[in-house]
Amino acid sequence: MNEPTALRSIGAVRPRKDADAKVTGAAVYTVDIELPGMLLAKALRSPHAHARLVTIDASKARKVPGVAAVLTRDDLEGLNPTYGYFIKDQPIVALDKVRYVGDIVAAVAAEDEASAVRALERIEVEYEKLPEIASIEEALAPDAPALFEEPPMGIVPSYGAGASAEKDPKKNVCYRFQFTTGEASAFDEADHIFEDSFHFSRCQHYHLEPFVTVARFDGDVMELWTSCQNPFPLRKELSRVFNHAEQNVRVHVPFIGAGFGAKNNCKTEPIAVLLAKMTGRPVRFRLTHQENFLTQSQHAALLTLKTGVKTDGILIARKSTILLNAGAYSDASPLVAEKAGYRINGPYRWRHIDSTCDCVMTNSTPAGPFRGFGGTQTSWASESQLDMIARRLGLDPYEMRMKNLLDLGEPYVPGESGIDSDLRVGLDLVADKIGYHERKRGPVPGARPGRARGIGLSIGFKDQGGVNKPASAQVKTTTTGGIIVNCGSAEIGQGIQTALSRIVAEILGTDETCVSYAPINTDITPFDQGTNASSGICVMGQAIERAARDARRQVIEFAAARLECASDELELEDWVIRRGNEAHPLPPMIMGTYGGTGFEFVGRGFFKPETSHDAPLEAPCVAWEIGWGGAEVEIDEETGQVTVLRLVVSGDAGRAIHPLVCRGQDEGAAVMGLGQSLFEAMRYDGTRLTNIAPIDYRVPLASDLPADFQSVTQEQGHGAGPFGSKGMGEGGILPVASAIANAIEDAVGVRITELPITPERVLAALDARR
Amino acid sequence: MDPIMLDIEINGERRTIEAAPNLMLIDLLRDGLHLKGAQVACDAGVCGACTVLLDGAPFSACTTFAFVADRRSLTTIEGLGANGALDPVQEAFKAKSAFQCGYCTPGMILLAKALLAENPSPSRAQIRAHISANICRCTGYQMIVEAIEDAAARMEAAGGGK
Repeated sequence: MNEPTALRSIGAVRPRKDADAKVTGAAVYTVDIELPGMLLAKALRSPHAHARLVTIDASKARKVPGVAAVLTRDDLEGLNPTYGYFIKDQPIVALDKVRYVGDIVAAVAAEDEASAVRALERIEVEYEKLPEIASIEEALAPDAPALFEEPPMGIVPSYGAGASAEKDPKKNVCYRFQFTTGEASAFDEADHIFEDSFHFSRCQHYHLEPFVTVARFDGDVMELWTSCQNPFPLRKELSRVFNHAEQNVRVHVPFIGAGFGAKNNCKTEPIAVLLAKMTGRPVRFRLTHQENFLTQSQHAALLTLKTGVKTDGILIARKSTILLNAGAYSDASPLVAEKAGYRINGPYRWRHIDSTCDCVMTNSTPAGPFRGFGGTQTSWASESQLDMIARRLGLDPYEMRMKNLLDLGEPYVPGESGIDSDLRVGLDLVADKIGYHERKRGPVPGARPGRARGIGLSIGFKDQGGVNKPASAQVKTTTTGGIIVNCGSAEIGQGIQTALSRIVAEILGTDETCVSYAPINTDITPFDQGTNASSGICVMGQAIERAARDARRQVIEFAAARLECASDELELEDWVIRRGNEAHPLPPMIMGTYGGTGFEFVGRGFFKPETSHDAPLEAPCVAWEIGWGGAEVEIDEETGQVTVLRLVVSGDAGRAIHPLVCRGQDEGAAVMGLGQSLFEAMRYDGTRLTNIAPIDYRVPLASDLPADFQSVTQEQGHGAGPFGSKGMGEGGILPVASAIANAIEDAVGVRITELPITPERVLAALDARR
Repeated sequence: MDPIMLDIEINGERRTIEAAPNLMLIDLLRDGLHLKGAQVACDAGVCGACTVLLDGAPFSACTTFAFVADRRSLTTIEGLGANGALDPVQEAFKAKSAFQCGYCTPGMILLAKALLAENPSPSRAQIRAHISANICRCTGYQMIVEAIEDAAARMEAAGGGK
């Protein structure tokens, strides 16, 4: 089949598909949905981190004027009231215990928020406090209380070569993932063995649109509008929880006002649905900023790396122990543990790997998917230790990386797919941009006495595309040449509607303005596992590509049949069939066959990587996401203040479907990384989150940008996605913290191994050195 | 509480509105008038997703009582542009793709309009300082800064003015 050779849309700088909606304020988010008779819901949350729920009495609350229903554990008859990913441990409302400050014990639906809040105040709850677990260390202490007296039900999926996992390996550890290659005897080949530990802090996603759901029952159909990245798994889970036939659960996903991973699986949906069921009216359950912090967070982690190397810097073996702070419920922690345990070794060649990653339960906000998904934690530790080892051996950190990086096409580990970026090209790019080779290593005086400057590099690393992930898509063509893209990828800000529409337009030889992106409605949209893992381009993109090619094939075969010629004589461009010099517009041909009312061709596409037990995760990874980074810092040796003078990040899009979208992803991710590196963190005092108020949780502002901040989108062309593309959602966040820490060591010879890198920590390290 | 009568010019149209004295401006806009462009994120006057302009100055609608708008001119995102054409600031954000999820975008655009009304040729540093009033979690701000520079250039080319 012939295709246009000059690309018409791919790589063009034209407005995004959602531009008009978003710059005019017309864009509809779940929080904008209003239904007639809609009630507003509020939740009553536990003030205690760990307690038995002795009694709960909502009788007075039900009498508050304006209150339509109050939901407690007494209203869960006939339901399977706990949900989760691998482990179904999180209740709709507390059953026997509360396990963190903020754990929901009851919910109210009322005509207005004031009435709902008044009702919350009249719910009478008796708690019996239990000893609390405030940290990973406390959870693992022999005399620690158990968060779950009985292990909740759950599964351990099957794994391939070298990978395995266990549920509930010990008290307060809900899941353990292990991965190994080679032989432990490889450590005997090492000239030096270094063991270092790293602390990774906990941030909150801070998506500006909160968790929010509008639910109602439309006859037998449970219908929801929700700010959710994975509506199909949500549908399955709601069906199971409510014993409601899956075909009678309908999920709509409007524009999502950001998520960064938080908006997966059940969040506000179960309560909204149950209150809608109890009242017979639509219910909106929308969380406040503070409640977002009590619903989902990133994983704090403790990573211990024992790394064996040769004197010349060649990496031999690594044994890693990673402890993730999973919070009070398992949520996605087992999946994050898989990825942390898998990615800890970075994009390097090893003779032996042995990683163990435990999900440790604590009385705090449940931790779940957060941009980087274990890769942020592992890049912090691995890329920091690489520099530390280089310096201990008297080697240049750049040279040490160059010696050990995997080659383009080299399998990440035996049985795995090959790396789809030339890692050295990217490293040279950022090293060049940050001026790494222009000066010798070691401190360079800063602008004033008592200040020193340094430069650091880092290569953030993760696999991309999810695990064994299926994606389906449809491409429909209308009589007059309009195209409708129908697939489950949600527009969460990443520009996926624009990118996928563009790919379809390119394949069908038409203008991208002819393409419309259908709304997500699980009744009509083809199945998709979720908008996550930076899989939109490399996984859904492949399904879309196949669907578009299928539609194109059908159109050309239709025309060939009408023109009584062979398909390969025909071209399709702007909805005109060209046969040599002849132009045959399609609309009259279509109406000629199907009548004046016309017809639609429907192309279908499906993609899933092949299952393979040779691959550690049971299917080879579809793509690899690399975030190359370089930072130049200036340290004030009197105050410990770190100023990032320059920050360079670069990702490889393979082929940039939309250059500005790619750039935006890298820059947005990098600035999130910058915040976590220097100041942003959830600050706990024991089990109490102290900086939960908006004024207290500091996220990056425009004034925090380094004076020189650059991103470079590479197009190396090796991606599995259409036109050699792959995704850009997470790479930018991965290298920032370690690049900064590496630059600090270059500047003042101290190593910070804990985030955030505050002036206090730098000063303490400088003082210790003196 | 007895309702009060408010006389507000909203997006160029003078309106008389009956409201509870303690009604917040954001609730008047979103629930009373169904103007959904201004969003609530932090609900505490910190993030700026609810930014509107009162007599051209940025206010956070979530922490402003509706009565504060009495006898004043209120501009929301819905009031920008005319006759199907976008405002130059909107055009610049669109052309530069200076948004991602879009939740902060109406507030950022109005914040930019206020800046450019006061300072038609701001430096990059001035733009960064000015937009530090509003939080964006998606873009990393650099592309928003460039869009505002572009908007300033568009407005100058068109002969200045609002």
